[in-house]
Amino acid sequence: MRKNRRRRNTQTQSIFPIKIDKLEKLLKDKFEKNPDLIFSTFEIGGKNVCVFYLSYQVKTERLDNFLLKPLLNISDLSTPNILNEIPIGGGSTTDTFEEILEDLLIGNVFVYVEDEDKAVFYLIVRKESRDISKSENESVVLGPQIAFSESLITNLNVVRWSIRSTDLVLEKIMIGKRAKTEVRIIYMKSIVNDKHINTMRQRLQDLDLDKVDDSHVLSQLIEDSSSTIFPQYYLTELVDRFSYTVSQGRIGVLVENNPQAILAPSTIFSFLESTEDMYMRWNAGSFLRILRFIAMFISFILTPLYVAAVTYHYELIPPRELITIGQSRAIVPFPPIIEALFLEFLIELLREAGARLPSKVGQTIGIVGGVIIGQAVVQAGLTSSILIIVIAFSALASFTAPSYEMGTTVRVIRFPMILLAGMFGLIGIMYGLCFLVIHVLKLKSLGEPYLSPIYPFRWDDLNKVLFRPPYAYQDKRFLSLRPKDLFRFKKSEAVKKHDIDE
Amino acid sequence: MEINPKIKENLRIRAFYLFFIITSIQVGVGIMGAPMYIFTEAEQDSWLSIIIAFVYVLLVIFVMFRILEQYENADIFGIQVDIFGKWLGKILGTLYIIYFAAALLSVILTYIDVVKVFIFPEISSLIIGVLLISLIIYCIYGGLKVIIGVVFIFFFSAHWLLFLLYEPAIRMELDHFQPFFQASFPELLKGARATAYSFAGFEILLLIYPFIQNKESAKFPAYFGAFWSFGLLLIGTVISIGYFSAVQLKELEWAVLSLFKIVSLPFVERFDYIVVAEWMMVALPNMILLMWAITYGIKRMYKVPQTKTLFITSFILLILIAFMSNHNIIIRLTDLVAKVGFWVVYVYPFILFPIVLLKKRWQRKKESETR
Repeated sequence: MRKNRRRRNTQTQSIFPIKIDKLEKLLKDKFEKNPDLIFSTFEIGGKNVCVFYLSYQVKTERLDNFLLKPLLNISDLSTPNILNEIPIGGGSTTDTFEEILEDLLIGNVFVYVEDEDKAVFYLIVRKESRDISKSENESVVLGPQIAFSESLITNLNVVRWSIRSTDLVLEKIMIGKRAKTEVRIIYMKSIVNDKHINTMRQRLQDLDLDKVDDSHVLSQLIEDSSSTIFPQYYLTELVDRFSYTVSQGRIGVLVENNPQAILAPSTIFSFLESTEDMYMRWNAGSFLRILRFIAMFISFILTPLYVAAVTYHYELIPPRELITIGQSRAIVPFPPIIEALFLEFLIELLREAGARLPSKVGQTIGIVGGVIIGQAVVQAGLTSSILIIVIAFSALASFTAPSYEMGTTVRVIRFPMILLAGMFGLIGIMYGLCFLVIHVLKLKSLGEPYLSPIYPFRWDDLNKVLFRPPYAYQDKRFLSLRPKDLFRFKKSEAVKKHDIDE
Repeated sequence: MEINPKIKENLRIRAFYLFFIITSIQVGVGIMGAPMYIFTEAEQDSWLSIIIAFVYVLLVIFVMFRILEQYENADIFGIQVDIFGKWLGKILGTLYIIYFAAALLSVILTYIDVVKVFIFPEISSLIIGVLLISLIIYCIYGGLKVIIGVVFIFFFSAHWLLFLLYEPAIRMELDHFQPFFQASFPELLKGARATAYSFAGFEILLLIYPFIQNKESAKFPAYFGAFWSFGLLLIGTVISIGYFSAVQLKELEWAVLSLFKIVSLPFVERFDYIVVAEWMMVALPNMILLMWAITYGIKRMYKVPQTKTLFITSFILLILIAFMSNHNIIIRLTDLVAKVGFWVVYVYPFILFPIVLLKKRWQRKKESETR
């Protein structure tokens, strides 16, 4: 099937039969100044045979043992005979030059017997990749720790093992005009909504770009709104999260050379749920999830509230606290908004520096942050000590987001909120909140509303999003995704109770 | 102009959202000041007035549904053109839109006034006006689905304020309500009429009806929405009457907001600031729905693109806001809107209904004759 498709795509004429030195010249011209093309010619049984490949793309040991050695022993050289005698599976033939070039790049070894009308090639690819390791960017306490690696083959292997079903489709799409990249759309064909698959396929196929750099870039190329600050697809490196999401009826996209998979459609709640919520007992899981919602809210509302209250609305603060704040602020020469922006900026610098520093000197950040922020800033009269608590609180809260991107988004949103609070007090904060709600309502991810199932409201989906009930009550898949198969099991059987002593 | 506009299937909304639409447009800035107006008319029997008004509102909604049911998928603009002909129908429709615009202006001005009285006495009306109108424009740009989303989410994010009323509620003096049934019937009716401004808004039903997906189940949400806003107004008024003395209440312009002054928690000393700011979430859906009604109405009748109307209306509103910052002018505008609204919302459907029935009967007769 693969070959048929190729035939249709390439309209170029066959270059065979050809003399070997002519073929060599053609290839060397293409690989000008590239010393890596190995082109060796043998004379076996009176016939000239050439073998060519890119040296580092091929496993030399295998090549020697299973291709070259048997090849030299073949008595009657012809294309069908080679295919018959060489003890490597998956050999194919080709007759176009374009195909030869394309396949050379991904580690094929070509064998051509002079004056035959086809060349034989075998995939003896050597691909170096990192071993799969523990997830570092999304860390979880419970559950599998395995993360995707840069190798697509490894990733597919891992995915296949985690969803062992013939329902699982791993659709292949090649993207890129100058340099092709393999992209896989992965879904459960008996559950997924066809509309989503079609949209995703369409968006990927319509891409007109030279090369896919990264799955983050790809996700931004296929997103619904590019002006917003909110991430619209969850990018994960956790295999269990990937397989959990795919088996829910969503789509996963794996990109070659990238350890991050794209999950679509994602809602705002996807970014706040962790697979750990599933592994915990339901009450603890629900607690953690709700905790995260509160944390997100706190992280962009707390500092603005401080700024608003201290600048305009002292009346909000209880008298005793007001005295403390007053004393602490007495030595600070700036208005609260400058004070808050200064400290927020400092925290952001710390975070950014921490992310960039090599891990060997990483602990410097801890010392700098602890000593300078904890002590010196207050003593120097730059900020009040209350503000430090407020800022630390909101910074900490923003790090609870399971998605690093969502955490960043929330931290960035905080700055305009602080400005609004500094300008218009509580009215400014309210303005910011209203704006955010309207903004988030307008967003879509793969054509699905970003706030779903809150709006459009689906009562049945709330138990998967806002909290986590015991598994017996999660009998339905996401109604808002309109899956082909809504029910996972019969709820009446799952919650059936026995009478006493039965 | 089509009498029955064809609404694309993906633009339609579920009937269940009608509850939120009706409640949100009824409960806006009106409820903040309503207790004073009702109390001046009906004194301690104000709650009776509100019940009378509610029953009347139910009746009006019933009539509205009967009018709408005569048609396949029509709204008020289509019906008016069908009944009164192209010219008169369009004039009436334009008047309807002007009423909406006046209501919108009064809502925005009242909210700005409240902000000035409670939080920022010095701030320019124009600045808050720009803030509010920018939100309205941004929201309406998203279309009806986003508008209803805003209505839906703000409904829930504003209702926690009710819990704060616990504190004034336990301080109520129940003898403020005694003796019962002191107000005469005309006084009660006058009190009921004083709720006109707070209860108005449900006429949006006449506009939004064609957008509803499952019309057969639209009735319950509409009635229930009216019931909900009735409940809120009743709670606000009853607590105000119980909490404030009669003399005080007659002078108190925003009684419901003043109720929150007593509320205090260990970490927040005074809640009225937060409540006034939070009230943006109550007032904004109101403004957005009214603005939508204006732009959509003009598009229906004159085929002007909604974006154009949106910007022109916003611009005019901003100019008006800049000049009408005087408290007395705002009060007069609100009174005017309440008066006109009484005729447009509460009386007009009863005039329209028999005419629609007659016309339909006449049509049917004609059809059977030609057959």
